[in-house]
Amino acid sequence: MTSQNLAPIKIDALVKDYGSLRAVDNVSFEMKPGEIFGLLGPNGAGKTTLISTIMTLEEPTSGSVQVFGHDVTKEPQITKTLTGFVPQELIHHGYFDVEEIMNFHSGYFGLRKNKERIDWLLQKLSLYEHRKKKVKALSGGMKRRLLIAKALVHDPKVLLLDEPTAGGDIELREQLWTFVEELKSQGLSILLTTHYIEEAEQLCARVGILQKGKLRRVGPTRELVKELTKREIGIRLKQEPTSDPTHPMFLRRVGSELIFETPSTMGAGDLLDQLNLDLKQVADLNIREGSLEDALRRVLGDKVATGGAV
Amino acid sequence: MNDALKHSTDLNVQLRPWDSFMALYQREMARFMKVIFQTVFTPLINSVLYLMIFGVSLGKSITLDHPVSYLAFLIPGLMMMGVLNNAFQNSSSSIISGKFSGDLEDLKVVPLTSTMILWAMSIAGLTRGLMVGLVTLFVGEAFSYVVDGQLIAIAQPLWLLLFLVIGGLMFSMLGVVVAFFARTMDQLSAVSSFVLVPLIYLGGVFFSMNGLHPFWRTVSRFNPVLYLINGVRYGLLGIADVNIWTASVVSVVFLGVFYILGLRALKVGDYQRW
Repeated sequence: MTSQNLAPIKIDALVKDYGSLRAVDNVSFEMKPGEIFGLLGPNGAGKTTLISTIMTLEEPTSGSVQVFGHDVTKEPQITKTLTGFVPQELIHHGYFDVEEIMNFHSGYFGLRKNKERIDWLLQKLSLYEHRKKKVKALSGGMKRRLLIAKALVHDPKVLLLDEPTAGGDIELREQLWTFVEELKSQGLSILLTTHYIEEAEQLCARVGILQKGKLRRVGPTRELVKELTKREIGIRLKQEPTSDPTHPMFLRRVGSELIFETPSTMGAGDLLDQLNLDLKQVADLNIREGSLEDALRRVLGDKVATGGAV
Repeated sequence: MNDALKHSTDLNVQLRPWDSFMALYQREMARFMKVIFQTVFTPLINSVLYLMIFGVSLGKSITLDHPVSYLAFLIPGLMMMGVLNNAFQNSSSSIISGKFSGDLEDLKVVPLTSTMILWAMSIAGLTRGLMVGLVTLFVGEAFSYVVDGQLIAIAQPLWLLLFLVIGGLMFSMLGVVVAFFARTMDQLSAVSSFVLVPLIYLGGVFFSMNGLHPFWRTVSRFNPVLYLINGVRYGLLGIADVNIWTASVVSVVFLGVFYILGLRALKVGDYQRW
C-alpha cells in the first residue's frame, strides 16, 4: 500500500478539554494524499492542540485521529513512524552538536546508520557546515532548520509543520517553502499552520479555518476565497462623472476612480452592462481579487459579530 | 538524486525496537560521558575524603562486631552510595535538562515505548553508577593496601554484582519517577535532600546496624537502602547485618515497585518544557 491511496490525516469528531476549557470542539476533517493542507486561525484557536493530539503529545477527550488509517491512540508507534513533526518552539539540546542530534533522532526511528540522508538533509537546509556546532550556538533560523531536518530524517509520509517560519527571516522562509514544494512534488503530504496567510494561500491546496476550537470552514483555498470574498472593480471614465453612481454595488470613489464591490463570480462586462456603460467610455479598468486573508477576516469577523456556530 | 534519498510513498512500517532503544541508551551514555569529570571523577574525590577521614583517621577508634577493619567495612557502603547517587542523578538530570531545553518532547513523538525509555534511561544510569562504584572500589583497594597492608579479595562476586545492578536500576528508575512528576527544580532538590540522602546515610554506609538502639534497628529495617548496602557488603566482604536472602527478596520487590512507578511516570508524567 502507498501513501497515495489513504487519507494522511483523518480527524473525526475530535474533542480536547483542559478542565473546563474546550480547546478543540468536535473537529472533523481529512487531508488528501500528497496535498499541502493549511490550518489557519488566530492564537488560541486550537491549532497546536490539534497537532499535539496527532503526535500523541495530548490525549483526545473524545473522537479519533487516524494517520494513514492507523489510530494514534491504538497504534502510536506506527503513526509516529509515518509522521514527521516540527514543533512551534525552538529546542536547544544543551550537550550535543547538530550531527549528534540528527544521529540520535534517526536512531529513535530505528535508523542508526543513516549518514547519507542526514548529510543530504543538512546540506538541503544549509546546516552541513554547522554540523559540528553545539545546537545552543546556532542562530534562531538555524535551530528552526534543524527542527525541520530532524522531522524529515526518517522519511515520513506526512509532515506536520507548526508555525515553521515563526520569527524566521525572508531567506529562511523562501528556502523552506522551496524545499516543502520539492517534498510535495515527491508525494509527501503536509499539514501546515502559519500566521503568514499569503504563504498559506500560495502553498495550500486546501485550508481549514479554526476559531475557539471549532472548525469554521474547510475546503479548497481558491473556492473559499471566491465564496467568502468580493471582487473590487475600479472604473475610470474618460469623462469624469459629476456625481457618484447610485448602483448598489458602488463602494467609494478614490480620486477619479469609481470602485464597485461585486461577487467574485461577476465579471467586469456584467457590471458595465448594469451601469449602461460602453467600453469606449472607459479610460481604465482595475480588478482586485479577494485574498485568503480577506476570507479569513470574513469568517472570523462573522463569528465575532454573531457569536453563532457554523 | 540518489534513490535512497527520494521520498518513498510506501506505507509499510518496519519498527526496529532494539535500534530505537540502543539510540536512546547511547544518547544517555554520551550525555554523561561529555562531562565525565563531573559525573564520574568528582564522586571519586568524595570517596577519597570519606576514606581518609572516616576510614583512616576515625576508623582506628571504631570497633565492629564483624571481623574486618572499619576501613574495609566502609568501602562497600561507599561503593553503593556512589552507585545509588549517580544512577539517580543520571536519569533525573537527563529528564530535567530535557524539560529546560525542550527536547524531552522528542521522546514522545518518536516510536519509543515507555518501557524502552525506562530501560534505556535506567541502564544508562546503572552504567554510570557502576563506573563510579568501580572507581570507588579501586581507591578503596589502594587505601586498604596502604593502611591495612592487604588487598580486599571479593568474597561473593555474583552477589556483589547482583546488588550493584539492582541498586543502580532501582535508583535510576526512582530518578525517572521524581523528575517526571517534579514541577520545579525545588521539588527535585527537596526529594533528593530530604528523602534520598537520609535514606542512604541511614542505610548503614558508615555503621553496623548491630550497634544501633533496638528501636532504631527496627526503624532501619523499613529502609530499602539498608538491604542494598548490606548486600554489597556481603558480596565484597562476606559479612552483612541482614540475611542475604531477605536482602535480595526485599531489593527485588522494591525494584519491581520502582519499575511500575517508572512506567506510570512515563505514561502520565509531564514532558512539556519548563
